[in-house]
Amino acid sequence: MAVVGFRRWARALSKGQGSGISALFSGARAASGTSKADLPGAYPKTPEERAAAAKKYNMRVEDYEPYPDKGEGYGDYPKLPDRSQHERAPWYQWDPPDLRRNWGEPIHWDFDMYIRNRVDTSPTPLSWNSMCKQLFGFIGFMLFMFYLGEKFPCYQPVAPKQYPYNNLYLEKGGDPNKELEEVKNYEI
Amino acid sequence: MADYQEAPLATRPKTLDPNEYFNLSPEYRRAEEARAALRANLKRQYQMQLNNPHRKELIEDPALTRWVYARANPYPHFRATNKTSLLGAMFGVFPLFFFYYVFKTDRDRREQHIKDGTLERKFSLSS
Repeated sequence: MAVVGFRRWARALSKGQGSGISALFSGARAASGTSKADLPGAYPKTPEERAAAAKKYNMRVEDYEPYPDKGEGYGDYPKLPDRSQHERAPWYQWDPPDLRRNWGEPIHWDFDMYIRNRVDTSPTPLSWNSMCKQLFGFIGFMLFMFYLGEKFPCYQPVAPKQYPYNNLYLEKGGDPNKELEEVKNYEI
Repeated sequence: MADYQEAPLATRPKTLDPNEYFNLSPEYRRAEEARAALRANLKRQYQMQLNNPHRKELIEDPALTRWVYARANPYPHFRATNKTSLLGAMFGVFPLFFFYYVFKTDRDRREQHIKDGTLERKFSLSS
């Protein structure tokens, strides 16, 4: 869009005539391109407004269904089915083939979410509930077991290390002349 | 083709739906023809612009322009209803105060521990 505007400006300047420059400054442009009426507007209240909006968006009047008017900022933008671009026919000759969409076709509000790199609404092998239960059930169970393992650790029984020679009395700097009774670290 | 089974992760294409071929009411047919006429008109416009040998600029897509405009300008159609104010408060106002209190109390407790000398600095990565 900006490219088109720049070229028009450059063409107006390069015309070299007085009318080109004055046309640039007075803001008078060719009456082509999108006008204000083509842009999205407020929620349509009367059937004529609905028909006009359906025509603007290139939809049938019966198909056109705006978002309910709850003040959420949608205006008269049509509510299209929430299907992602993954679900569209892969073998049909779409105009931009990677987007699987034809030129001029009304774009879903969340189109940038439904492109083929992102959210996929294709049907799944199992139902959503079944998948959720399996995944969160497994994760919850593992977390619970790890928690129990932290609380009740179980390992081989250990005891403090026992040293010979009266608990290393001489090596620890004890008096060599002192007579000590035998320290027994075992029981038979 | 009567026993066509969809691939596990695909929806059934519209052209292979048996309801498209049997027991069609005239209204349904008319509706489909009107939709096909709209689609064909758009295709024709696009192809005329695409294959025009004198065209030097990009083909602009008015549907894209409308989409961008609609996404960028929700505020003229915004109204403060119960639901929108509630959502705004929940996402914009509440986290501010909530996180302030959470962080402040946590940091104060930690500071108190450090001053008392009771802060336990463990080596484990998880906590």
